[in-house]
Amino acid sequence: MEGKESILKINNIEVKYHEVILVLKGVSIEVPGGGIVALLGANGAGKSTTLKAISGLLKHEDGKVTDGSIELMGERIDRLEAEEIAKRGIFQIIEGRRVFEHLTVEENLRVGAHLRGNGKAIKERLEMVYGYFPRLKEVRNVTAGFISGGEQQMTVIGRAMMAQPKLMLLDEPSMGLAPMLIKEIFDIITMLNQKEKISILLVEQNVKLALTVAPYAYVLENGRIVMDDTSEKLKENPDIRDFYLGLTDVGGRKSFRDVKHYKRRKRWLT
Amino acid sequence: MDLFLQLFTTGIMLGSIYALVALGWTLIYKCSGVLNLAMGELTLIGAYVCLTLYRWLNPHMALNLAFIMAILFTLVIGAILGLLTEHAFLRKMIGEPVLSVIMVTVGLSFFFKGTIFIIWNPDTQIFTPRIFPLKPLLIGNVVIGQVYLWSFIAAIILLVVFVSFFKYTRWGLSMQATADDEMAALSLGVSAKFVYALAWAIAFMAAGVGGTLLGNINGLNYSVGLLGLLVLPAVVLGGLNSVPGAIAGGLIIGVLQNLTGGYLDRFFPGGVKEVAPFAIMVIFLLFKPYGIWGWERIERV
Ligand SMILES: Nc1ncnc2c1ncn2[C@@H]1O[C@H](COP(=O)(O)OP(=O)(O)OP(=O)(O)O)[C@@H](O)[C@H]1O
Ligand SMILES: [Mg+2]
Repeated sequence: MEGKESILKINNIEVKYHEVILVLKGVSIEVPGGGIVALLGANGAGKSTTLKAISGLLKHEDGKVTDGSIELMGERIDRLEAEEIAKRGIFQIIEGRRVFEHLTVEENLRVGAHLRGNGKAIKERLEMVYGYFPRLKEVRNVTAGFISGGEQQMTVIGRAMMAQPKLMLLDEPSMGLAPMLIKEIFDIITMLNQKEKISILLVEQNVKLALTVAPYAYVLENGRIVMDDTSEKLKENPDIRDFYLGLTDVGGRKSFRDVKHYKRRKRWLT
Repeated sequence: MDLFLQLFTTGIMLGSIYALVALGWTLIYKCSGVLNLAMGELTLIGAYVCLTLYRWLNPHMALNLAFIMAILFTLVIGAILGLLTEHAFLRKMIGEPVLSVIMVTVGLSFFFKGTIFIIWNPDTQIFTPRIFPLKPLLIGNVVIGQVYLWSFIAAIILLVVFVSFFKYTRWGLSMQATADDEMAALSLGVSAKFVYALAWAIAFMAAGVGGTLLGNINGLNYSVGLLGLLVLPAVVLGGLNSVPGAIAGGLIIGVLQNLTGGYLDRFFPGGVKEVAPFAIMVIFLLFKPYGIWGWERIERV
């Protein structure tokens, strides 16, 4: 991670829900300015919690960063309200395609520009979003609750783009989508990163895809970062191949029971 | 048939006032999930404020102008009171159990009632001098009191203003977004707290004007506050969290009240008119618990 100035720095944070449930137990992550970083891990590892800690949405679920710090371009943000953090340019795309169901697609996009001023600027950004997602233009006047899952995913990404983010936190954008659509969406994510210079922290269960898009990745397990490296190296790592890519040399994906068994035998090491 | 038309028309006009107050109630519920049991007192406060302003302004300008100015100032004061109320009493309750929040609104209703009758005389007061001519208009075979007609027009104008606000302005859209998915709205930098405060401001504004119009029709005393109760059957019919539903519910209750009053009062003298909306609400709830326009989650097919 040397070389580039980092936009986001998470220093050894600890996160608790309801003041007692300890979910993150020392997580450190760095996102270089203009980069894409992937955050991988099994269900319940604490990936979404990490994103919520950054965006400040944690407070809304009675969670709190109880130790460590989060810095955006050198400035501490972990005590700020979600609204303040958004003003500074961090936008989280919550998992599960959370469109505003009763608003039209275009109204959804407009809400995305809530913090970003006047009519003309909004028009330009709308055109920009429709440029990336021509499909959204076709359904612009349809109530968002009734469009397809892929279109909903595009709507929530487009909605965040309306806000002119510096850093986008993407939570499992591929979840529940057909492979063709997943590819389309990931191509656009790459383009956003390159053309719009948006830094991205990407949470994904689809590890193969994540390692293709992001040059660097962290692995989270049980609230701890257990490994981080370039995607090149991670793809070759036998544990990653085994658990996440399902590419054991023996072949065939292991069942969850096997994985658990395996875990007991051999813990992740950094 | 003439009787029916007569009752129906006045019912719609009365109902437009209920619709206004119901919109305010629904907005608070929709945006913040608070079941507000102090709505009646909000209508009373607005009505008394407006009456006081009217008496104040009246010597200095034409009657109509004085009344319009009084209503405009009532809107402004309502907005301020709404913001203050939310800030002082409800902000702390965010995230508390629903029942506790309801109890806070009950407390608020007592608090407002007490304050109102410390400031203002509880005897029935009328808007004097009369604002609208007493001479009724005849449209076809239907006789319409001018005060009803003008109240109807005022209520409709305000309804249009509020609905346009939701549809076309930044904060209007953000309020709808918060009602739909608060977390997602927060993630875009929408301040949920300010949305709640706005909802209370609009509720105060709508209720204040509703109370004024009703007080101007029937005379102003505590009974205008019962409007707050009538709002419940209206919003239940409309499905609690739907703005168009609340408006339709208000209109329906107005018509129902007038029809039952006109046709049934002969057989059950006394309070049929007052009871009917609630009776219908109960029956309705048995069959359609989500109201006519209530949100059930949108399920894609
Ligand atoms: N609001 C909450 N209150 C209490 N515990 C929570 C809350 N949200 C999450 N948790 C717990 O924190 C842990 C991590 O949850 P998180 O949602 O961050 O996992 P994740 O890695 O995103 O998982 P998934 O892949 O299933 O989305 C889980 O054990 C979960 O039960
Ligand atoms: Mg998650």
